[in-house]
Amino acid sequence: MAEKEEKLFMKALKEKFEEDPEDVTTHFYDYGGWKQSERKREFKEWADKIAEERGIPHYNPDIGVPLGQRKLMPYQVSGTDVFVEGDDLHFVNNAAMQQMWDDIRRTVIVGMDTAHRVLERRLGKEVTPETINEYMETLNHALPGGAVVQEHMVEIHPGLTWDCYAKIITGDLELADEIDDRFLIDIEKLFPEEQAEQLIKAIGDRVYQVLRMPTIVGHICDGATMYRWAAMQIAMSFICAYKIAAGEAAVSDFAYASKHAEVINMGEMLPARRARGENEPGGVPFGILADCVQTMRKYPDDPAKVALEVIGAGAMLYDQIWLGSYMSGGVGFTQYATAVYTDNILDDYVYYGLDYVEDKYGLAEADPDMEVVKDVATEVTLYGLEQYERYPAAMETHFGGSQRAAVVAAASGCSVAFATGHSQAGVNGWYLSQLLHKEGHGRLGFYGYDLQDQCGAANSLSVRSDEGLPLELRGPNYPNYAMNVGHLGEYAGIVQAAHAARGDAFCVNPLVKVAFADPDLVFDFTEPRKEFAKGALREFEPAGERDIIIPAE
Amino acid sequence: MAENVRDEMAEKAQFYPGETKIAENRRKYMDPTQELKRLREIPDEDIVRLLGHREPGEEYPSVHPPLEEMEEPECPIRELVEPTEGAKAGDRIRYIQFTDSVYFAPIHPYIRARMYMWRYRGVDTGTLSGRQIIEVRERDLEKISKELLETEIFDPARTGVRGATVHGHSLRLDENGLMFDALRRYRLNEETGEVEYVKDQVGVELDEPIPVGKPADEDELKERTTIYRIDGVPYREDEELIQVVQRIHELRTLAGYRPDEAEGK
Repeated sequence: MAEKEEKLFMKALKEKFEEDPEDVTTHFYDYGGWKQSERKREFKEWADKIAEERGIPHYNPDIGVPLGQRKLMPYQVSGTDVFVEGDDLHFVNNAAMQQMWDDIRRTVIVGMDTAHRVLERRLGKEVTPETINEYMETLNHALPGGAVVQEHMVEIHPGLTWDCYAKIITGDLELADEIDDRFLIDIEKLFPEEQAEQLIKAIGDRVYQVLRMPTIVGHICDGATMYRWAAMQIAMSFICAYKIAAGEAAVSDFAYASKHAEVINMGEMLPARRARGENEPGGVPFGILADCVQTMRKYPDDPAKVALEVIGAGAMLYDQIWLGSYMSGGVGFTQYATAVYTDNILDDYVYYGLDYVEDKYGLAEADPDMEVVKDVATEVTLYGLEQYERYPAAMETHFGGSQRAAVVAAASGCSVAFATGHSQAGVNGWYLSQLLHKEGHGRLGFYGYDLQDQCGAANSLSVRSDEGLPLELRGPNYPNYAMNVGHLGEYAGIVQAAHAARGDAFCVNPLVKVAFADPDLVFDFTEPRKEFAKGALREFEPAGERDIIIPAE
Repeated sequence: MAENVRDEMAEKAQFYPGETKIAENRRKYMDPTQELKRLREIPDEDIVRLLGHREPGEEYPSVHPPLEEMEEPECPIRELVEPTEGAKAGDRIRYIQFTDSVYFAPIHPYIRARMYMWRYRGVDTGTLSGRQIIEVRERDLEKISKELLETEIFDPARTGVRGATVHGHSLRLDENGLMFDALRRYRLNEETGEVEYVKDQVGVELDEPIPVGKPADEDELKERTTIYRIDGVPYREDEELIQVVQRIHELRTLAGYRPDEAEGK
């Protein structure tokens, strides 16, 4: 077991509380209530002003439960040196978190080969690297809101849609050489050699365009708008760039290809009971989210960090935005979600598991069998539970059972995935951890939290239709996962852990992996947690602002 | 009746696996044949005040007429199941909810749930990490609450009666050894050394404090507790329990994936 001084969470625990992290006692009721928090004081000041100006009561921390009877502890964003207040990690208070989701939602990938075949075979047009470049220039005018076909047309202020553009992905290196650098997402430059080779091979000679719709459009409309917006501007740009008739039937092939045959959305449509179109968080499979996150190309030799960054991104997207807002609303979910990306507690457990499996099995070298699942998940679970017992400050930090259950099971699942290189074995390890935790500590999460963990083992290895899926393709809409917090981001992390251990460049879709390597994205997907910290410090510059069309303050 | 059914069972109930003192305590609290040790007396009226559902001496409010006055349809289940006293009278269903500290509280959520299901009839119980509720017909609830509060499974410092704003189970203890309670429903009376409730379980102030006894010392709590801890009996040391959990997991996995392989395991 790692020595006390080596614990990754020790710095956070010492900063959060005045006592030694091993002390069992403290003092309460004398911190000055909510006034101990700078952020709450700021909130109150604003709320008083709003209430006075409008004449309707607003936020008032003196209402309801007495806040701040204990230390309102700060949180260290894991993987960074930044300490923030919990409030700064609610996505409404954090522009970086909003932008992470904006950047995923507004991304659509559309294959160009069908359109090129229509141009060449049906319309007799020549398609060359030069014409593709010209098309891309046209598209980069049209996509943010420029008119290309009609001569009397309203347009969109570019200052509102500055973040909007389109680029090209291809595995055809000859063609890539001839594509204007401004339009190319260059796989060879952006990825380590071994990963670039995998991606180029997987993508092959096909050509894809990656479109980033304006963030502001996502705010006003919805995720399903994105591929429609993309398809409209693609069709218009083909008409313009290749000088074809706007009304001829062949144009419908561009639309069909862009909206259906060749489109790759980041999120699938959801059924009526959850009623969302494409590109909404509930439809983003775990493997796709893992592919959006780019830690693997920056830290290829650190599979723990690779998995942890995916978990952080996933907890924010799935727990805070999807379950915590789309599906419920309010403030409670942030407290659950942040446990996996603050104070380096999960980091400590995951690195412990990584060390354990590297010493005993080697990375991705163990068979994905039950004996390995039992050995690794049990050891990591026991280690995690013991840290909460040894360090009361850690227990108080994760004061809800669901937080602890998510953290311990995530570390266990990732560790099994590290050992086996197999996400299905990893998720099976997650469920063993939950059962061990429940009997060991005699408590787990809230009623609904535990539910899927009681029955999860039975479907963890199933891949038959209606019974299961490979974990990479499961998502928030998977039947057993649809209702509760503290699981989804962690499952995405288990997917990533398996592939990171294997040295895979991507988990599910090489195009998604390459699309999010693009340095022109507003959010930096290599280290989501660092970006969240920037957002918490109010240093993150988002897109989608309306300052230029509203009165100056 | 439940006792007869158990007697006729082909297998003897084992209640819980494990080879440690903790496992033994878990079995003891679940086993309805083992009488819980009574450690304190709390007057019935005080229990009613602490619950806060009705005033002491007030009639039980009812949600339906007594069963014997109702013309119930013929039903084999109704014939089979003897109603509790509260159900017979048509009482409301009310609750008591506990928070159990991780620091050697005598009993804690899932063990509570299983204990309730073994020992009591007509109960609906819900288990979370920071609170554990039991919902019962009101007069039955008062009887059950008396046992839950007066016996060895309650400790005044490490067990809290909390209907809302429950957090405290995982927090460090206050300097005087009491579990944190944001609503400060109880306090340590320095003169008597006893813990006394000054608010009912949802935090409504009481006219008079309700003493619930002196906190047990650490050694005694460690003897009574159902909690594995690294500074008590570590979970890691109970190999039998861990093996049983692993077996359950393996069988559940196989049952969903390759049921044929689960046969005979």
